[in-house]
Amino acid sequence: MSRQGRPQDTRKVSGELFSLTYGALVAQLVRDYEKDEEVNQQLDKMGYNIGVRLIEDFFARSQQGRCHDFAQAADVLTKVGFKMFLGVVPTVANWSAKGDEFSLILDQNPLVDFVELPETHQGLLYSNIICGVIRGALEMVQLEVKVWFVQDQLRGSDSTEIRVKFLKKLEDAVPAGED
Amino acid sequence: MAAVCVAVISKQNFPLYLRSVNPQNEADLQFQYLVHASIDVVEEKVSTLGTPKAGQDPREHYLGLLYPSEQYKVYGYATNTRVKFILVVENTTSQSRDTEMKMLFKNLHVAYADMLCNPFYTPGQKITSRTFNNAVSSIFQMSKGFTSKE
Repeated sequence: MSRQGRPQDTRKVSGELFSLTYGALVAQLVRDYEKDEEVNQQLDKMGYNIGVRLIEDFFARSQQGRCHDFAQAADVLTKVGFKMFLGVVPTVANWSAKGDEFSLILDQNPLVDFVELPETHQGLLYSNIICGVIRGALEMVQLEVKVWFVQDQLRGSDSTEIRVKFLKKLEDAVPAGED
Repeated sequence: MAAVCVAVISKQNFPLYLRSVNPQNEADLQFQYLVHASIDVVEEKVSTLGTPKAGQDPREHYLGLLYPSEQYKVYGYATNTRVKFILVVENTTSQSRDTEMKMLFKNLHVAYADMLCNPFYTPGQKITSRTFNNAVSSIFQMSKGFTSKE
């Protein structure tokens, strides 16, 4: 399943460089598209494309086994996934009664270090790329989820909350002989 | 010494930001005049920065007192990118200290750098950032704290 024994990558990129690069990307998208909704959609799409690739890197580096339920998946997503790629560990909270929906609470979002949303773009979901990454990555492990922003620090909330809803298990996607 | 006006001036000497303590005050226009008049002095001081005299830190951005008027004193600070910060303080009898002024300018510089990192800000635009505004407010507050000293 994973490329075993890959040496730990010690190369690090400065957090500021990372957030400035992402900022330049979003600012360019905002210039290219007319509506904020379209930008949000583009970010989600980019995130999805990153996610479906990033999951391989994730397994190669973490040697993570299979998760048995959604709660465990949430745990791995936050404690291993977010920590590995963003350097923060969000809190998992607000589980729905059925256990198919939870929230990721980010006290600190490394993407938004210097950002201030302009008055004219209040509909912009600046960090929407994260939603796409989660959706793409989980789809590769046969979990179809819906991910969306509930609140965003950039819009004046205290913390950033991302909602993840489990839709269905993608049984068909499992290649023969995998189980 | 209470700071009454903060201004940021771009490399090409046009104003990026100007704010006084009481924005509704009629003195606003006077501040614009004061800041505008100070640009000449700034230019003069900046041109000598390139050839540092002995015993002078070549990285020194602080330009010191530009000129005193009856009511106010005008201080200047220029970054290496030639963005200028101007502080107008009330002209009181108490001597203002350079170290205090330097600290205010240092804070302003940091706030400016953070503001510049916002991807939605295009360099050369008027500064409308809320966080920068807050930083300037705290500079006004801080300068009031210095009054208690001699």
